[in-house]
Amino acid sequence: MNYTVRNLGGVREIDLRGQLTFEANDDFRKIIDGIEKDGITACVLGLDSLDFIDSAGLGLLVLANNTANRANVRLTLKHPRGQVREMIEISEFHTIIHCDF
Amino acid sequence: MDSLAHPLPAASRAGGGQRVLVGHPRRGIGAAVRRVLAGMGVRYVDVAADAGGLLAAVEAEPPDLVIIDRALLRADSGLIETLRAVVGRNELPVLVLGRFASMAERRALMAAGATDLIIRPLTGAELAARLRGHLENRLLNRSLQEVIRSLQTFHTGAVQRMQLARDMQLGLLPDDGLRTGIERRYGVRLDSHFESSSELGGDIWGARPLDDDRFAVFLCDFTGHGVAAALNTFRLHALLEKIDLPGDDPAEMLGAINRLLVGLLPESQFAAMLYAVVDTAADRLTYATAGAPKPIIGVPDCPLRVGESVGLPLGVSMKASYRNRSVEFPPGAFLFLFSDALFEARDWEGRPFGYPGILDLVRQCGPQGNGAPGAGALAGLLDRYFAVMPRPLADDLTALWLTRGTPPPTALLGSG
Repeated sequence: MNYTVRNLGGVREIDLRGQLTFEANDDFRKIIDGIEKDGITACVLGLDSLDFIDSAGLGLLVLANNTANRANVRLTLKHPRGQVREMIEISEFHTIIHCDF
Repeated sequence: MDSLAHPLPAASRAGGGQRVLVGHPRRGIGAAVRRVLAGMGVRYVDVAADAGGLLAAVEAEPPDLVIIDRALLRADSGLIETLRAVVGRNELPVLVLGRFASMAERRALMAAGATDLIIRPLTGAELAARLRGHLENRLLNRSLQEVIRSLQTFHTGAVQRMQLARDMQLGLLPDDGLRTGIERRYGVRLDSHFESSSELGGDIWGARPLDDDRFAVFLCDFTGHGVAAALNTFRLHALLEKIDLPGDDPAEMLGAINRLLVGLLPESQFAAMLYAVVDTAADRLTYATAGAPKPIIGVPDCPLRVGESVGLPLGVSMKASYRNRSVEFPPGAFLFLFSDALFEARDWEGRPFGYPGILDLVRQCGPQGNGAPGAGALAGLLDRYFAVMPRPLADDLTALWLTRGTPPPTALLGSG
């Protein structure tokens, strides 16, 4: 997984690319650390260019969401496509994390 | 002879703690070698004046290095072979110090088992440099051997412990008695495949009778694989065995398990599960899913059906609720359940197998394809699958193929 970060005021937009799996664990934990400690008010995870997510990747999204809730950061998943969208729908993650389809 | 009364064991010595044995018939030169060694910081030096003394010293306390003066070999030309017979061919460095008459003599000494020849005359500094090289090499070799031995011991123990844990995990799955009991009682065939990506896995499946007409099957896949995921399968098994749960209502069942697992599982861990109840009197299959792959359902004379599947995985949120879905499931129908490894696994080129590929396999291997109804459809499907998919898979794979038998002709006549 690769990602780029843009900060617009208190809103952080992170575009994820590639595959969100266990291999992305270390990188994604840095993203979660940022949500917790950087004093942002909202975080948008752009999923347009994310090709694949597995259950470990969904676990990272749960972790990010729980961290965001604790830090009062509004977390949004934006534009999941293909397999990623299907996984989010099957797992009903849009019922616990705000998701812009 | 110059030695400690109670030499330290070899493993407790390092660097200057190494033991060197010098074999020399002339006390003066022996003492000179000993001085060089002392200058290098070697504290334990034994000096033997003859072949008998040298062998006795080696047997009493194996040294880290043996230096034999060529003069000692005049009295006993087979000394190096005898020494090698005692200590082994490669274990102990044996150096021969002296002036050598010919290449043939040097060749013969090397062939007899000498590690190196140190040709006199040479300065004390040169001798020290040569000896230091051999002693450091010896120290590294011994340390390496001890590390390897320690790793081998750990590995052997770990393999034994893991095998025991794996046997325990396999013990969580339905045994042949339970399986054949369900097959006979309800007129079904239940084939299963359980394959962990490492010694232990995060999948578990089960089957249980409910009453004379109904039984339940489930497949559950905890996030990740390996030991941590396996521990969660033991948790689930214990909950299912010991707590009275609404086993005949899939949605209620998943809701109850979810409420038990929330707070019990670490934050980023959860389980995808499908729980199904087969009613052989009503010819219906009722199931609920929690983030599980869509089941594939086959009904005679109907197109293959991909069952709906939506629901939060278990253990994520206390607010999660689940829905029952009910489909026709007459005699001859089949239900194929599998963990996500089946379609997420990647082929040799790194491409995921994909859900459509699974549907193609089911069409080929199920009763509507070449496979006989229920007769090893799963085995045939997996044969074709693994013909193109490399093992081991990156995730745990569990697959269940349940087929309702068709009534025998006599029963049809009787009922008509």
